[in-house]
Order: sequence, then structure tokens, then C-alpha cells
Amino acid sequence: MMSTATVRRWYAPVEVFTLRRWLLVSVVVNLLLLSVDLLRGGDTVYVGVLGVVLCGVLLNSLPQEHKPASRNVALVLGGAVMLCGLYRVLATPLSLFDLWMHAWMIVPGALTVLWMSSPPVSAWSTRELSVKAIEFGLARNQLLAPRMQAFGAHLVLLHFVVLTVLPLVWILDIALSPGNALGGTLGGPYTGEHFSKMLGSDAFWTWMRNSLIVSVGTTLMGLAVAIPAGYAFSRYKFTGRDVSMFAFLLVQMFPGIIILVPYFLVMKTLGLLNSHLGLILAYCVTALPLCVWMLKGFFDTVPRELEEAALLDGCSQFQVFTKVVLPLSLPAVAVTALFSFLAAWNEFLLALTFNTSNDMYTLPVGLHSMVSSTGQAWGDFAAASLLVSLPVALLFLFFQKFLIEGLSAGGVKG
Amino acid sequence: MVSVKFTNVSKRYEDGFEAVKGLDLEVNDGEFLVLLGPSGCGKSTTLRMLAGLEEVTDGAISIDDVTVNNLPAGARGLGMVFQSYALYPHMSVRDNLTFGLRMVKGKERLSEAEMEARVKEAASMLELQDHLHKKPKELSGGQRQRVALGRALIRRPKVLLMDEPLSNLDAELRHQMRQEIRRLHDELGTTTIYVTHDQIEAMALADRVAILDRGVLQQHAPPLEAYRAPANEFVQSFLCRHLDDLVETANTLLRPAGDGVQEA
Repeated sequence: MMSTATVRRWYAPVEVFTLRRWLLVSVVVNLLLLSVDLLRGGDTVYVGVLGVVLCGVLLNSLPQEHKPASRNVALVLGGAVMLCGLYRVLATPLSLFDLWMHAWMIVPGALTVLWMSSPPVSAWSTRELSVKAIEFGLARNQLLAPRMQAFGAHLVLLHFVVLTVLPLVWILDIALSPGNALGGTLGGPYTGEHFSKMLGSDAFWTWMRNSLIVSVGTTLMGLAVAIPAGYAFSRYKFTGRDVSMFAFLLVQMFPGIIILVPYFLVMKTLGLLNSHLGLILAYCVTALPLCVWMLKGFFDTVPRELEEAALLDGCSQFQVFTKVVLPLSLPAVAVTALFSFLAAWNEFLLALTFNTSNDMYTLPVGLHSMVSSTGQAWGDFAAASLLVSLPVALLFLFFQKFLIEGLSAGGVKG
Repeated sequence: MVSVKFTNVSKRYEDGFEAVKGLDLEVNDGEFLVLLGPSGCGKSTTLRMLAGLEEVTDGAISIDDVTVNNLPAGARGLGMVFQSYALYPHMSVRDNLTFGLRMVKGKERLSEAEMEARVKEAASMLELQDHLHKKPKELSGGQRQRVALGRALIRRPKVLLMDEPLSNLDAELRHQMRQEIRRLHDELGTTTIYVTHDQIEAMALADRVAILDRGVLQQHAPPLEAYRAPANEFVQSFLCRHLDDLVETANTLLRPAGDGVQEA
């Protein structure tokens, strides 16, 4: 039989344990914010420190079971935390950032006061509840807890979304603002002059053409090598198999700058400086190891019995590969292709070093030249960089289905 | 007439493990042979050597008096059913069935109409008419296994090979498929070699069983004969004692309640 004492010990209103999590998150966030504030020399940092300490104490003194005293302590501490935040708001001139920072102190404090004085918590902490009341409370918890958790989780995630989107918004703002200042004019007036200038410039289209040739070339050549290589590594045993798999990875472990000079010398000797082919070869070499590993990993998941069935159906080794294995591996191939394309599309260092003549620039190098040698055309730069991301974004949209399938393919057996 | 013949066949893997040791075995035309034994006894390896998926270390395997040791798998005229079905996931049931037919080039290639007729025939035999357009993942386990059977049979193979085809099915389906496989064999008369570790399956299906242990053939006889006159201690314990245990368990369950109380 379930004893009443056990139920009583287990039950706490949803507000109490939700608050416990919130306060924990608040303490962590506030510590981070305070260190930022300290670095930029905020005036009322000491009040902030006090607030965090109070927050910590509050976290530890939240009522565990029905104890009127600890409920009252929590009420007072919550109020104090809120006051710390409010004081800082009133004491310093406000920017958007400050307001947001102080909200992280005011809201948890206010929430504590609100919830600690709410009827369910009051009742629970001030008197012994009847079993009926506890049963009702448990049902209420079941209903409210998921919603509160979801709300909290999304609130935290929203911060990350803002962090991710903010730079993009900023670039968009610069690109749409008249003039070439780095700051942009938040809120307008806006103009499309930078976009039309870029789209009308021959240099931009030359760079775009170079980038496309190099990226598509890298993708095709990379796939042509990576697919058979990945299959061989997955299916055949041969001397030096493990060693070469490892050697592939080894190349990846060096920072690019170390192999830059040897690459340059090789390209110079081969007469491939200022050419598309030189870049394509170099990108292939850098992207291959990962491509081969990715494809090998996928081929490993294709059951051997499928290939044996195809052999018995009269396929040659090569037909087994083209008619059975490859069609099954399309998602993985798509992921690999996208990866090589992106790597080539975004690469800067090698392109800058190898292709020094103006008409051989790829987009990243061209963009760089806009804000370094020929003045500080930030507006044009921002517009161009958005235009550069556009094809990639479209590619992602197009490949999205494949991407998800490809990345999760190893996990689920069909 | 002898259809398949193993002459002193051995298989040694690279790591030195000897899976099959000096196997001599003959399978008659139209016969249903079951290779029976515990896991690791070499029964699957034997089948895979015959299929051409595994190289023969020593000895000769012949089909219709032609040594096939060095013939590629697809040229041996065999059909095979795998434990995991091994259906092509990206093809419909129809394409799975005709895939092997389409791989044939030259004079022996069937016309589209002939292929369609074969598909119809196989589908009606295996009750797959309503599923021809579906992908394998839309089918149940039993249906998948029937497609796998159809794919093996549609090429009219000289020998049908089955590697534990029922182990992935639940008991009810296994029972049902067992009867269906035997019925198909009786209808088509295809020489069949069937690998299993399940004694009941072997007893129910086989014209003759070949019992293997650690790569060595222990006894090769009709199932009832093997049960009545086990050749050695291994067959005695693996086949006879196991079956006796089953019978006893069944009897215990069926015995009227009163008897059980008296004994206890």
C-alpha cells in the first residue's frame, strides 16, 4: 500500500521544481554576463555580483517540503534579486543590451516572488495537505510541467537563434544602406544600389564564373575519385589498406597554412598557377579524405547479401556497384558532393595564393580585394557576400531531403 | 540422375580456420536436400561455395557433370534465397523479380512479353499480385520472403539454394512458409538445397538430410532413417534426443490434468 507519508514527500508543486531549474540557468547566464560587464567596465558590477550570490542562495533555500519559514525566506530573496536588477536598470544609461542583461536578473526574481506567493505553493508550504489535494496537485503538475519546460527551453534557444541571425541581419542592413560605411543605418532609409552595382559589374561575374568552374570541377573530380575509393576501402582487403586510411586522416590534421608553401611550389613547377585546374586539384586533395571516409562509412552499411544476390542474378562486379550499391548510396553521394562544393566555394587561402591575376579571382578572393586594396567598399562588400551565399543557400534547400537521409542513413536499417 | 556433386571439397579461410573438410555429397535431380547442423558446422559455407560466393580451397563441385569451381556466380544458373531476404530496396517488387532476367544478354534474353508472363506466373504462385508495384519496405516479413523466393525461381534455376530462409519470421509464419516451400518444390520439381539449424524444419522439408558437424559430414540419409538409425553419437544427440525432448514436452502439456497431480 502506498503510504501517505511517501506521497507527501514526493509531491511538490510544479512551480517549485521549475523555478529551481530557472534559477540554475539564471545563475550561469548571469555569471557570463557579469564577466562581460566586468571587461567593459560596467558601473554597477558589484550590485550584479550581489544579485548572483543572492540568486545562488535562493536556489539552495527553495523549500523542499512544507516549511513555511523557507517559503518566506525564498520570497524575500526573490524580491532582493529583483531589486538588484531594478537598481542596475535605474542606475545606468540604457542600451538594448543592458536592458536584456538586467532582465536576466529581474525576471527570475519576479518569478520567484510571484510563484512563491501563489496559492498552490502557499498551501503546500504552510499546511499538511490531504491525500485528495496531493492527488489533484499531481494531476496539475502532469498538465503544466511539460508546458513550462517547453516554454523555458524555447526561451533559452531563442537566445541562440538571435545570436545566429544577428550577423546576417547586420550584413543585410549594411548592404541595403546607402554609402559604404561599416555601421549601416538600422531602420532605413534603404537602397538597392549596392546590389545593382554588384550585379552590373563585370568583375563580380568573372569571379562568379571562376568560382563556379572551380567548385563544380572539384565536386565532379572529387566524386569520380572518392566513390570508387570509398567502395574499395569498404569492401576489399588489400595490403596497406589501414595504413592509407590513416594517412588520409593524417593530412587533415595539419593546418592548411603548413601545406600552403609546398602546394605553391608544386603548382609553380606544374605551371598551374593562375589556372582553374590548379585550384581544382588542390581542393580535391584537401576534400578527398573526408569524402572517402564519409562514403566508406555509408558503403559499410549496404548489406553484403544485397551484392551477393546481384551476383547470383548475373551481375558483374562492376554492375553490382552501378546497379545496386550506387543507387542505394545516392543520399551519401549527395552529401559528399555538397560538402566538396561548399569547401571549394568558400576556400580563401589557396585561391589567394595560387591565382594572383585579377581575372582568375574566385569570389572569396574578389570579395577580399574589395575591402583591402581598392578602398573600403563595405556596402558593396556586404551586398556581394549575400549574393555569394545565395547559390549555396539554394543548393542546401534543394538537397535538404537528401542531406537528412544521408546524415542519418547509418543509424537506421532499412 | 545426379544434379549436384561435391567431390572431396574443403574450405580453409585465410586465418587458417577449416570450415569444411573433405566433403563428398551427391544431390539427385529434383531432390530436396537439407543441410542440417549447429551454427559454425560449415553448412552455410558449403552452400556459398556452390553458389560461387566463396572460393573452393580444395576439391571439385559440379552441376550436371560440369565442374563449376571457376565459373562466376551468375553463370551457374542458380537461384538463391537469403536469410535477410536481400531484396533491392530501391526497386519495386516487379523490378526485383525481373532484375535477373534483365541481366541476361544475347539470344537467351526474354522478350518483354515473356518477362511479363513469368512475373504473372510467379506472382500468382506466391500470391504477390497486389504487391507488384510496391517497394520492399512496404511489405511484411512473409511477403518479403515470398518475393525473395520468386526472384530466385523466376529464372527457372537448375538448383534452388536457400540459406536459413525462415529464421527471420515468427513461428506462425515460419510454419506457413514451410508448407509453401514444400508445396512449391512438389509443383516445380526444382532441385533444392536448404540450409537450416532447425531439426523440425529439416524433418518436415527434406527428401534427404545431410548432417554436418565441425565441417565434417556425419550422416546423409532420408530424415526418418537418420532419426531411427543415427550414424554416430553426434547425430544421436543433435537430432534424435532433441526431437524426443520435443515430443516429451508436447506429451506433458497434453496429458490430462489428473495424471500430472498423481505423479507429483
